[in-house]
Amino acid sequence: MIKTDICDLLQIEYPIFQGGMAWLGTAELASAVSEAGGLGIIGAGHMPPDVFRNEIHKVKERTSKPFGCNIMLMSPFVKEVMEVVVEERVPVITTGAGNPGVYIPALKEIGTKVIPVVASVLLAKRLLRGGIDALIAEGTESGGHVGDITTMALLPQVVDAVDVPVIAAGGIADGRGVAAAFALGAHAVQMGTRFVLSEECIAHENYKNAVLKAKDRSTVMTGLTTGHPVRIIDNQLAHKYKNLEFNGGSKEELENLGAGTLRKAAIEGDVKEGSVMIGQIAGMLQDVKPCKDIIVDIMTEAEAVINNLQRFGK
Amino acid sequence: MSTFDKVKAIVVEQLGVDEAEVTIDSTFIDDLGADSLDIVELIMAFEEEFNVEIPDDVAEKIKTVKDTVEYIDSAK
Repeated sequence: MIKTDICDLLQIEYPIFQGGMAWLGTAELASAVSEAGGLGIIGAGHMPPDVFRNEIHKVKERTSKPFGCNIMLMSPFVKEVMEVVVEERVPVITTGAGNPGVYIPALKEIGTKVIPVVASVLLAKRLLRGGIDALIAEGTESGGHVGDITTMALLPQVVDAVDVPVIAAGGIADGRGVAAAFALGAHAVQMGTRFVLSEECIAHENYKNAVLKAKDRSTVMTGLTTGHPVRIIDNQLAHKYKNLEFNGGSKEELENLGAGTLRKAAIEGDVKEGSVMIGQIAGMLQDVKPCKDIIVDIMTEAEAVINNLQRFGK
Repeated sequence: MSTFDKVKAIVVEQLGVDEAEVTIDSTFIDDLGADSLDIVELIMAFEEEFNVEIPDDVAEKIKTVKDTVEYIDSAK
């Protein structure tokens, strides 16, 4: 069985994180992944603090194993949400959209492990100063908010630039991807799209079907002009958004068009006018299964792939 | 060279904007089109050029060329 220093650091069995997706990284999914031996992550997104605290309580009721929370640093509630993290003594947080530096001292005090998501080498280097425990290098293949460098190019550059363990994210959904990430220097992987297609994920049936139906070229990047690009399935919303964005739509108009669209797709099931935030690897995925099977199958396959690669050494 | 001129030169190089666009009141995001990663790169470039440390809590508040010049002058 593949064990890495990330397993020891976080007290988890498998070096697999579930991406902390807004609306879908709920207590149901996070507790299932943690219970199966990975690191389940609640996606705090724009959750108000009381809703967020309730999700944490639900995870704690369902599993005694370590779990994490993904904190969106641009959330209007970020200060209060960080207070909840400290009060609830959340074992691990991952952070997106910025620099968590100012919150780290309080988190260190209670032993919470801080693992920021980065999409550039320079940001990775800057974050080292704050005393982070590890980093997630996320390539542009991912769904949702992304950077513009591929996992293939970003991961080894981040690995070379930092002295903490690196977790690979973006474009990984099977054992081959895990083996490749390890070859590039990662000590664990984070997967989002693969876990959307789990039995425990609360995504609307239409949303899961859209992911199942997706092909390699089904996603597009929107919001390139805003500085905060988002990868979604190319649908009516994506067309409207691109039209507006490349025809002089203002920041407010774009924000209004995007507002509430993830919920509309993920929870209400409107996959035409809603935002289906999934990664480029969706085209490979053909089944919905329990989180436990996802994790065990992927790690078993990864071991076989790594063993099989030895033939090149002969 | 004044602090402003040096800051301006770095901004021009990092963001690929025209010199004329960079005034003391320019905001990095709204006026000069920087995204959040560009800001990180800028802050680190300022640190290197002026040999000062810009801690995270200060970096968060630096939004304009003026903010930058004022902090650097006070830290030197």
